[in-house]
Amino acid sequence: MSDLIIKTNKLTKKFGSKRVVNHVDLQVKRGEIYGFLGPNGAGKTTTIRMLLGLARPTKGSIQIFGEDIKKDKISILKKVGSLVEYPSYYGHLTAYENLEAVRILLDAPKSRIDEVLSIVRLTKDAKRPVKGFSLGMKQRLGIATALLGNPELLILDEPTNGLDPSGIIEIRELIKSMPKEHGITIVVSSHLLSEIDQMATQVGIISKVIFQDSISKLRERASSKIKITVNEGESAWKMLLSHGITSDLAQQSIYLENGSDEKVAKVVKSLVDNEYSIYRVEEEKKSLEEIFLELTGKEGGL
Amino acid sequence: MWKYLRSEFLKLRKSTIWLLVFVSPLLSMLIGFGEANFTSDIKEYQWVSTLGVMTIGHSILFLPLLTGVFSSFICRYEHSSGGWKQLLSLPVSRRNVYIGKFLMVSLLIALTQILFVAGLLFIGWMKGFSTGIPWEVILPSVIGGWLACLPLIALQLFASVSWSSFAAPLAINVIFTIPNILIVNSERFGPYYPWAQPFLMMMPDSTDSFGALHVSFETLFIVVLGSLLLFFCSGFMYFMRKEI
Repeated sequence: MSDLIIKTNKLTKKFGSKRVVNHVDLQVKRGEIYGFLGPNGAGKTTTIRMLLGLARPTKGSIQIFGEDIKKDKISILKKVGSLVEYPSYYGHLTAYENLEAVRILLDAPKSRIDEVLSIVRLTKDAKRPVKGFSLGMKQRLGIATALLGNPELLILDEPTNGLDPSGIIEIRELIKSMPKEHGITIVVSSHLLSEIDQMATQVGIISKVIFQDSISKLRERASSKIKITVNEGESAWKMLLSHGITSDLAQQSIYLENGSDEKVAKVVKSLVDNEYSIYRVEEEKKSLEEIFLELTGKEGGL
Repeated sequence: MWKYLRSEFLKLRKSTIWLLVFVSPLLSMLIGFGEANFTSDIKEYQWVSTLGVMTIGHSILFLPLLTGVFSSFICRYEHSSGGWKQLLSLPVSRRNVYIGKFLMVSLLIALTQILFVAGLLFIGWMKGFSTGIPWEVILPSVIGGWLACLPLIALQLFASVSWSSFAAPLAINVIFTIPNILIVNSERFGPYYPWAQPFLMMMPDSTDSFGALHVSFETLFIVVLGSLLLFFCSGFMYFMRKEI
């Protein structure tokens, strides 16, 4: 069996004439936490709905565990747990009964309910009706439901949406522990880059084109600049140019691209020699956020 | 299939829907008690005339309305908090989910019919009807009424699955049920109007039959079966293709 758990080929979904998902080639490897990123409306949820067989692709194919979703949907879904958008629950039932209603359909052993309840730490609230749960608890119940069938692949769509910071940390730790403790492959979508940055090992950014690589490769793209603030920016910039040092001038500050230590030292020395007052020398790192906006066509920046 | 019904039952169990099962049999029973039994001097008609009186309200209004309420209800908890999404991303076949829901509503209606008969038997016992229970009249009546509800269930389930609103399918059902009061009297439209079928099937034969009651049993059966196939298949096809 190949090491790719999910493989899509030119996956496309049109609503009317609008292409919501356009030629997406996803590749998710076994044991990874795959962060699926994109601005709101980029088609993350639609892609996930297609992965789960809830919606049909207009074009393209989906292979999960090497099987085609069109032909072997039920055998694929047996190994998949999912949480799509907001958590699903039956409000009039207790947490335990919610899980039981799903467990019956999965033919899972009854003991599994207590196991998943303790994984998401809901054991104490198991006998309470879910309509009285906080959003964070509902979200955790959703994850418990997703884990019920002992899945090999977990697909979580925006699992930290609407949670408070402690809830976010809790869910994040839960997700991070999953591949190690249970050998599960996880696809987690979010519109928040910082979220993905803290969980994922692989990242796919969906927009017009898809960027897909390990998260460390993405970080490498975050190149840095040295910003030097002096009393007379423009004349300092001209002086540096006459000494053969190219730099950029913006808002009376001098910017050095890819400044190595020696280069910075040299620039500072000549500025001091020419009696400029140096107020600040600082490194400006292009944040992942900016890279994200660059990759997704700056739509989010508006 | 069994597990689909069990899961469905678990979701229904804690709801208030069970109270509705009792409403129509209870009301019909009260009406049955009130019946003056004009024909009671002809003792063998006591059961049948009471059944006839009880049937009117039950089958013209309540049964058609209940098919809608039950169908809407069984889809409501799926619509309200993303149940469809969760249910259909499990390794389940949509076919069985749909059939399971249909069977569940049919069972609720069957339960209503059983309680209806229980009500009739209770009246007979209280009033001390002298003849034996005429099962050969009662059984065809309640089973026929149940069969005639199946097309309505199929149609209401179609509507309830398509619309996430609880009220919209109900409103449609009411709109089609109210004219029933007139249509059952019509010889021309009665036999072909789905909402009139429960009454036509349930009303015991009597010499003073009126309106569409003259229509042969075969015609009714074909209409019921035909509309059941039509409504069930359209709803089923829709559900199989529906994108969640």
